[in-house]
Amino acid sequence: MAKLDIERIRLKVYRFDPETDREARIDTHDVPYVDGMTVLDALFHVLEKIDGSLAFRFSCREGICGACAMFINGSYRLACETQVARVLREGHRELHVMPLPHLPVIKDLVVDMTRFWQNYEAIAPWIVTRTADPEKERLQSPAQRKLIDEYVGCILCGSCFSSCPSVWTGREYLGPNAMMKTYRWVVDSRDDAAVERLGRAGNEKGAWRCHTIFNCTEACPKKINQTSAIQGLKRRTVAAMLRGAR
Amino acid sequence: MYRPVASREVRYADLDLWPFRIKAGMWAWILHRVTGLVIVFYLVLHILVISSVLWGPGTFDATMDALRRPVFAAGELMLVGAGLYHGLNGIRIILFDLGVGIRQQKAFFAGVLALSVVGFAWAAKVFWPLIFG
Repeated sequence: MAKLDIERIRLKVYRFDPETDREARIDTHDVPYVDGMTVLDALFHVLEKIDGSLAFRFSCREGICGACAMFINGSYRLACETQVARVLREGHRELHVMPLPHLPVIKDLVVDMTRFWQNYEAIAPWIVTRTADPEKERLQSPAQRKLIDEYVGCILCGSCFSSCPSVWTGREYLGPNAMMKTYRWVVDSRDDAAVERLGRAGNEKGAWRCHTIFNCTEACPKKINQTSAIQGLKRRTVAAMLRGAR
Repeated sequence: MYRPVASREVRYADLDLWPFRIKAGMWAWILHRVTGLVIVFYLVLHILVISSVLWGPGTFDATMDALRRPVFAAGELMLVGAGLYHGLNGIRIILFDLGVGIRQQKAFFAGVLALSVVGFAWAAKVFWPLIFG
């Protein structure tokens, strides 16, 4: 990234503590700008030098844990992967950092992801086999691996879940992430539980609740096309029903 | 597991719903819903109007005459627009279900909008004398 000729960057951050606050507020801080600085760095500056009560999730700081997904200047992004310079280059003059929309705020930038994790657990996101374990490993051809290439890149940040209108309105809907992961296991050549997985996903709590709004695809910081997976799930559900598999 | 305590205030920060932040795919869906509601509303109206024949041919003819007013012609033009968009976007969604163009959804939406506008312009030309003539 080219150097930016600024000394400080204005950071506006959402603050709400349900135990003491009646209303949410926006705190404004001027943070010293350093080249290569990310939004997470700016949040750390506030935490360490200005206001130690600011709450936010983070872990790996390199875009692989998915903890720091936030709503930054109008987009779903990972705070650790978002360069301040890039946000400014988009035409913004200051940083606006908000928690993920449509999820209950626990404190400041930390939201309640319980439903997201429960839904993920509900689809059994692990390999299920019917054959004896091989001596070393279960092999896949490059072509078989290519089917799941896109979807294993998911880091479970919750951006798609937060952005999905079907999740907001359907309390039972498992969500784009759980559906995409179901598809990832259905098409995995090593997994033997495709029929059960399609049974879990092929109903109004699953793939059919998706209205192809593409908000998940727009939100995904890892540029995964969840809708393509959910549509694949719909096609496979119908095919299984026509074959009489369920 | 975290559970919100009853006395806690639960807040959501839903800033992604500002119109300028809504993306193409969601506009397509919103328009699909709205035009769908318009068509359902028309269907109910249509059934009510047609059922006026139950009270004899006189009532039916009188109803039909009343519907010849420009305001109803304008309403019908709106219905054509709603039907056009809803039908074309329906084809777009069916194509997604068949696995076609999921990664080109924005281009498909642009195509749906363009065809709808062209069709609506043509319908407006036909309806013009009925509304203003």
